[in-house]
Amino acid sequence: MSSTEQGTSSAAPAEPTTAPESAAAPEVPESFYYVHGKDKVVHKVSAGALQHSALIHGMISNLGYTEEQAKANPFPFENIDGDILQMVVDWCNQHKGKPTPPEDTNLPKQKEKLFDLVLAVNYLEIKELLTYCCKQVAMMVKGKSPEEIREIWMIPTDAEDEAAEKEAKKRAGKEAAGETAAAAGDAK
Amino acid sequence: MPIALLKFPTDLLGDVFKLCDPFELYKLSKCSKRTQRSIMLGGRKNWKIRFNAGSSKKVYVNGLHYNYDKNEVVLYVDNLIYIFEKAAKPEDVFITEHVGRGRNHFQPEGYMSIQCPDIDLELFSNLLVTFGISIVDRLKIDFRSFESFSNIADILIGRNIEIKEFCVEEAETRKVIDAVNYMPLINQMNITQRFECQQRFLRRYNYQLDTFPNKIIINWSFWFNIDQLLNNRSARIKLWESKLSNQDINMFFEKWKKAGTFPNLRYLEIDSIKFDNKSPILEMIPPIEQKRPRIEIRDGRNVIEGITDAVQVTKDDGTVGYLRVELGTNPRLYFLVANPADTVRYRHGRSGMTCDLLQMPIALLKFPTDLLRDVFKFCDPFEL
Repeated sequence: MSSTEQGTSSAAPAEPTTAPESAAAPEVPESFYYVHGKDKVVHKVSAGALQHSALIHGMISNLGYTEEQAKANPFPFENIDGDILQMVVDWCNQHKGKPTPPEDTNLPKQKEKLFDLVLAVNYLEIKELLTYCCKQVAMMVKGKSPEEIREIWMIPTDAEDEAAEKEAKKRAGKEAAGETAAAAGDAK
Repeated sequence: MPIALLKFPTDLLGDVFKLCDPFELYKLSKCSKRTQRSIMLGGRKNWKIRFNAGSSKKVYVNGLHYNYDKNEVVLYVDNLIYIFEKAAKPEDVFITEHVGRGRNHFQPEGYMSIQCPDIDLELFSNLLVTFGISIVDRLKIDFRSFESFSNIADILIGRNIEIKEFCVEEAETRKVIDAVNYMPLINQMNITQRFECQQRFLRRYNYQLDTFPNKIIINWSFWFNIDQLLNNRSARIKLWESKLSNQDINMFFEKWKKAGTFPNLRYLEIDSIKFDNKSPILEMIPPIEQKRPRIEIRDGRNVIEGITDAVQVTKDDGTVGYLRVELGTNPRLYFLVANPADTVRYRHGRSGMTCDLLQMPIALLKFPTDLLRDVFKFCDPFEL
């Protein structure tokens, strides 16, 4: 269902290639939309697949775009890495029109991408995938000791937190002083 | 592959914490103060907690079963039970286990357990704060460390946490010389169902109990004087090793007889070597007893309290009480206040001992026919 192609800008996306449709094609022609991430690679996704994302579904529900208009106006998600968006699009396509089974085998496996994936899924409001991702995060510390949890979840110690807080206060103080000086300069 | 969890947005953190079990959250709370504060983002469950400090022994719970009262903290909600136990060996610390079958009626579905470095008030207070607990089902401690107790009291009082049962376990008297300092803190706690004090105090101080849970049991109650009894608003009071005298008890009954006094009182039991046959209680010289079948307060099929061979006494407003004072080597007073809603009176019939609800009418003929037949089966020919 999805296809990608390196695009140069969100305003003029290159023609994406389309994967073959499934055998049971719907009678009513399906509408497609286009999304791209930080890497500008445009993904063609069916409206059915995009329904998983409450954010995108909300955006497209009242647009009534024609195929041409949709192609010309891909949704830009500049805060999401291209490979992460690819994972999300793949998942949405795999689960188009059906609920996620409790033990979903078609889920992204790349642990190193989990942090970015969680943030992206949370941003795109894909509830089922978010639940799965959060479960993955929670499972990371199953049966671990506090010290191991600290490492796995990169939790700063109290001393590190205090130092960071002091640093932040210092920085805020400096910025405030800078602003005051600038304001005084402007007044002169 | 590590993940910077605390960089997640707050709602996302909450979503992750919702999927962690209490043991993971407890361990997480030990990582830093910041993580401890964050755990509540996962939402608040109606966790209840029981804490048994001190030595392990068998106790009788709710008049039903023997329960192994271990040194442990139990956290539970609905059918989920999480037990924090002391690790036998350092290498066992933080090992968790699922036990499929409960070891008593309290854990019928099995439970999860975790081995902890220590089972102490620090762990208990950590769990109270981490899980935002508002009900302590049972707190059993001893008076050996005032500092620890004071810390936990600050949390319990400051957050007005309901403590259903509070039990002070006995420690060596010489180790609790500052017991007098505990009472003002206990008096500020919201103890609702039961206060039990097994501790023997030093006699040189005055101790004042100003909290009135439903039930009070004091094992060494010499300090619980008549003024405290007269001002008490509890439903059931048991005082062992008391120093109350006939005169004190007479004073108590003079007050009880007046309408509107002791509205909650249902049962009083006092064991005192000062009870004698020298002065009257309600114009009766002890021993005060009369051949009479047993009378019981019941909660459904469970017997709450009972009294046999008691003399009937009546309050000015018509409320009936049953009093018995026995002398001998272990002089003891029993007093039960009847209430038609839950009090049963036994009687001797031809078919043996039977019981009925006091003065409680019942529309028998509204029973279905087969039920009526079942009732009539138990009636003897004279009754029929």
